[in-house]
Amino acid sequence: MRLEGKTALVTGGRGGIGRAICERFEREGAKVFAADLSAGGSLERGEAPPSGFLRLDVTSEASVKAAFDRVAEESGALDILVNAAGVEIEKTIEDTSLDEWNQIFAVNVTGTFLVSKYALPLLRQSKAAGGASVINFGSYDGFIADPGLAAYCATKGAVHALTKAMACDHGPEGIRVNAICPGYVDTPMLQSFFEGEGSGGDGGTIESLQQAVRDVHPMRTYGTPEDMANLVNWLASDEARYAAGQLWVLDGGLSAQVQQMKL
Amino acid sequence: MLNDGEPVSRGGRLAGKRALVTGGRQGIGHGIAERFHAEGAQVAITGRGQRPDELPNHFQWYGSDVSDPGAVQALAAAFDGLDILVNNAGVQIEKTVLDTTDADWDRLMGANAKGVFLMCRAFIPKMSHGGSIINIGSISGTTADPGLALYNASKAFVHGLTRSIAVDHGPAVRCNAICPGWIMTGMADAAFAAGGSPEAAKADALARHPAGRFGEPADIAAMAAWLASDEAAFATGQLFTIDGGMTAASPLNPGLF
Repeated sequence: MRLEGKTALVTGGRGGIGRAICERFEREGAKVFAADLSAGGSLERGEAPPSGFLRLDVTSEASVKAAFDRVAEESGALDILVNAAGVEIEKTIEDTSLDEWNQIFAVNVTGTFLVSKYALPLLRQSKAAGGASVINFGSYDGFIADPGLAAYCATKGAVHALTKAMACDHGPEGIRVNAICPGYVDTPMLQSFFEGEGSGGDGGTIESLQQAVRDVHPMRTYGTPEDMANLVNWLASDEARYAAGQLWVLDGGLSAQVQQMKL
Repeated sequence: MLNDGEPVSRGGRLAGKRALVTGGRQGIGHGIAERFHAEGAQVAITGRGQRPDELPNHFQWYGSDVSDPGAVQALAAAFDGLDILVNNAGVQIEKTVLDTTDADWDRLMGANAKGVFLMCRAFIPKMSHGGSIINIGSISGTTADPGLALYNASKAFVHGLTRSIAVDHGPAVRCNAICPGWIMTGMADAAFAAGGSPEAAKADALARHPAGRFGEPADIAAMAAWLASDEAAFATGQLFTIDGGMTAASPLNPGLF
């Protein structure tokens, strides 16, 4: 139980990765607010919402304010904030409409900004020995590009820079800010990406595409939401009290190698 | 408060694992070795010369020089298998390229570069599936510290070798590097003392750390324990910087704006 006595809020808390983070935090003893647009989140399994479910639209200032009013009322302080809410648009810039561009920035970038902004007063009240911890979701796509994900790549680059800026500004207040940068993780978002590529690609099946992606990883697999939760849990704990301002790539070694030519 | 990273029990996330830490008699290496022991690992330490009197009995000691191929081969022969290798042994020489002698090159690159290569070559065959190699790189391997030419270059070598081992020897063996920032060891105190005003130098350095303090060996050990554990099963080929936020900020003088 490495998060006993801590209060955490996870945006995108009912999505693929967010859900695994919430479950892990609860097992580690934290009180968890799983914030998402709907109780089903991106999974829509139709199960009853967990006790800590908090309806939140990260793009709406009013919704964000209301969410933190409830956290303040129930907990008085926040020790851990995970900005995991995110969306993807599988298009080049030419095919991306201005509305789509604005929408993905609204969730991935403005959402991280708004939620962090209104979390700060509560994060300052944290009594955690290792400081309060903010964990943003960047991506390995914020460093190198996947084809047909232009706006997504740009939002993740913005999250990386915002992470460093927040770490500089709020480190002296006892708030650590880091970003975790996943590579390929087995989530509904990834499945949707595969389905899009599989139907429009060179005629291969989705299964052959998935295997090709696994094979290019030095670990010969893509990640699970639980792999991400393992690192998020470490960063959230007092163990990581000297970790700040960093972009933590967790990608099974994918970006440690150059392009894998078919030689 | 700074020492509360000490785990409470020996139950441990590394129970049953065999670990080897080079240069583990003091500083960061010793912090890692103590933490691994506290997490239930069986820990061996290497260093040059005889077993130090003050070394706790729970550590095995192997007198060995990582820069000597024969010594490393003999060391590896003493192990049936290994789960965790920490390449921590290293030296720092405060010189520019112009001041550096051939002997300096041999000593520094021998330990920091050749030593890491020799240890990996000897011990990767000893590791079965799930092995974890942790190299100690440095923030100086990515951006340059003035007057530390060969040290900076040697750490860049460590970063490159880390990626290569991850790519060539995954999925059986994972390999990552930890890049410490300013950790309070004898090396850091010597750096402050070298200038005209140690107190002013220390205050300036502190102002460059969003965390408001310098690091401690326990901070690095906390990361090493995670990377060594099965929790990090998807982490490989990466550099993990632990520097209290220092390299997230621009290197301009604090208070300039």
